[in-house]
Amino acid sequence: MSTQLSEAPARPAAPVRPGRSATTTGTAALFRFALRRDRIRLPVWIAAGTALMAMFTVTRHTRADEEAGRTELLRSARVGRHAPMLAAVLLAGLACAALAVAVGIGATATGLPATGSFVLGASFGACGLVFTGITAVAAQVTGHTRSVYGLVGGLFAVFFVLRAVGDIEGNWVVWTSPIGWAQASHPFSDDAVLPLLLCLVAAVVLVLGGFALLDRRDLGAGLTQPRPGRATATPWLRSPLALAVRLQRGAFLAWALGLALLGVVYGALADSVETLIAGNEEALAVFGDPDVDDLVDAYLSTTFSITALLAAAYAVSSVLRARTEESEQRAEPVLATATSRSAWLGSHVAVALVGSALAMTASGVTTGVVRVLQTGEAAAFGRMVGAAVAYVPAVWVVAGLAVALFGLLPRLAAALAWTAVGLFLVITMFAESFDWPGWVSDLSPVSWVPLMPLEPFTAGPVLVLTAIAGALLAAGSAGFRRRDLATG
Amino acid sequence: MTAISVSGLVKTFGATRALDGLDLEVATGEVHGFLGPNGSGKSTTIRVLLGLLRPDAGRVRLLEGDPWRDAVALHRRLAYVPGDVTLWPNISGGESIDLLGHLRGGLDARRRAELLDRFDLDPRKKARTYSKGNRQKVALVAALASDAELLVLDEPTSGLDPLMEAVFQECIREVRAEGRTVLLSSHILAEAEALCDRVSIIRHGRTVQSGSLDELRHLTRTAITAETARPATGLESLAGVHDLRHEDGRVRFDVDTDALDGALRHLTGFGVVSLTSAPPTLEELFLRHYGDELAENGAAAREPVRS
Repeated sequence: MSTQLSEAPARPAAPVRPGRSATTTGTAALFRFALRRDRIRLPVWIAAGTALMAMFTVTRHTRADEEAGRTELLRSARVGRHAPMLAAVLLAGLACAALAVAVGIGATATGLPATGSFVLGASFGACGLVFTGITAVAAQVTGHTRSVYGLVGGLFAVFFVLRAVGDIEGNWVVWTSPIGWAQASHPFSDDAVLPLLLCLVAAVVLVLGGFALLDRRDLGAGLTQPRPGRATATPWLRSPLALAVRLQRGAFLAWALGLALLGVVYGALADSVETLIAGNEEALAVFGDPDVDDLVDAYLSTTFSITALLAAAYAVSSVLRARTEESEQRAEPVLATATSRSAWLGSHVAVALVGSALAMTASGVTTGVVRVLQTGEAAAFGRMVGAAVAYVPAVWVVAGLAVALFGLLPRLAAALAWTAVGLFLVITMFAESFDWPGWVSDLSPVSWVPLMPLEPFTAGPVLVLTAIAGALLAAGSAGFRRRDLATG
Repeated sequence: MTAISVSGLVKTFGATRALDGLDLEVATGEVHGFLGPNGSGKSTTIRVLLGLLRPDAGRVRLLEGDPWRDAVALHRRLAYVPGDVTLWPNISGGESIDLLGHLRGGLDARRRAELLDRFDLDPRKKARTYSKGNRQKVALVAALASDAELLVLDEPTSGLDPLMEAVFQECIREVRAEGRTVLLSSHILAEAEALCDRVSIIRHGRTVQSGSLDELRHLTRTAITAETARPATGLESLAGVHDLRHEDGRVRFDVDTDALDGALRHLTGFGVVSLTSAPPTLEELFLRHYGDELAENGAAAREPVRS
């Protein structure tokens, strides 16, 4: 990655024009700086978004409809065997094309070269097209919507890692990943169209393959027979905690893997931040000639606060699993056994607390490993893990909030908990940039945590956050013990 | 000895009064039918008995305990089959049976195997592939394989086919023979008639009738069809005779239980050639209590309980 970034032509420093409002001075320079700094990360996010869009669009109109029995009804009418999937693929393809054009127009409008802008847009669209094709195949392979998401999501993670590895090493590995092909177009520098054509060809081949598989299977079935489950439960599956672990382990593994991958990416980018800033007079001037190491630490502490919010989002989704169990009437048979309400809720909450702490630690570990490889300093590992783990009490406060809402305001729990996560995310990302008053930023528990590794560790906020989390958990549990169970 | 004792139970959901002073007495060792149409409050009552809902007023005792306060201790002694069985899509039927059994406090492995066989249930299938009837079988096997002294069954057969319904009835008779108590909520009257020692009929969250089937039959009418040598006349002037019809030398009528003797004496005066008498069915008991509702809704009498 560093090789690519050093290719960027150095821009002359912006002349200081007197008479402009002082509060916005440097915005243009910072914007260009941010764009250049994110020239890898931003496209990765958009590519991920496009791939997800393709996956959800195709699955929703193929396997999901088939599983729900709607396709059967449609196919009994004058509708051909290939029609539902063709319609879904066309829709997803159209969405990818629209996105490509929109990005092209948008980027051109910000003053970037038109050719590069449209190549950039096309690279996103191409990535979406490949995943349209991958989903078209995956939707034939397995009979269940959730498995399709798992298959495509897993492939995305694999391709993502292959691209990252290839990028860091600068070798052929990047060509094993369609995400790598899309990015090999190098918008604004090479503007290569050939890799994008490769994506298009792959998408067409995959979709045709999907149709071929569709011809070889029955309606409602996958290519493989669903594996039968166990006739008897394993000896460990006999407590509410075991049930909660069993129900939530898939989601936990996905989130933990996601945050670990994010740790790799953030760690890898730390190196380019260093290279970029050290060699860039303009950027150094903007930051007031700081110590480059401090800047890297500032960057890392910011990334950890964002990771912490993602871990909090996982914790909230995990706590709300209890609500789903309740409202879908699956809590009722369990609570009609000799399982107390505290034990049942405590099991799901334990998974949320331990799971989010492990996921947060995983991101610290991967960032730490990458930093050790980059800098050769073994101490970097401990600093990164420490910085990540310091956020755990803040994550638990958000989880505790979800538990309290579940116990006291069950109907509104999901809406309010997600609103809180969104609010905390906005605060973390924008409070400093827009200079919001201190009390706004204090609303988010994540802001209370010392900005490690830039700042030293302080025990005070961590203890206070832990106490708040404990109080919220107690309130939620007490509320749940006193209220009616939701009935269908 | 009473297994369940409820009096004046009130439960409201916002403006809806789901239970409005309900009474229920279930003696230890009996199979008690808990009858009422959909929405009459059967499931709500059961959820109060399980400590899942908190009563607003009234007295509720279950196995000599308070279902809300002593929920965990009481649940060791009872097994529950919900009306709408939802299972974890990714967990097999066999795993669900074991899990629920162990959470309750143990499960008889031999009986589990025997019940799987009798109910013809494949325990290896994931719950998402089970039909409603098969999900119900999972819950039934989990409950029946336990040694619970009280079974609480909320419309347990609504998804079963007639063959499985027969197996279910057989199982309940065995349970009764072991001296265990069953609270069987149902709107299938034939089932309650076949199984229950006593029934309670509820309507709009209130108990309207309670007692043994014999006691209840005394409160209603017997249907008589008779063929007589000479045309039977004068029946219409007898008290307690209803819906009198003459067809091809035969006479049909319904008669109140206390007027049965007089009506038969009157008939013999015309030379009885053949006589059939049908005791009142639960269906008729039910219809009497819901008759006005049916008239309001204009529902067909053939489908009394679906109104």
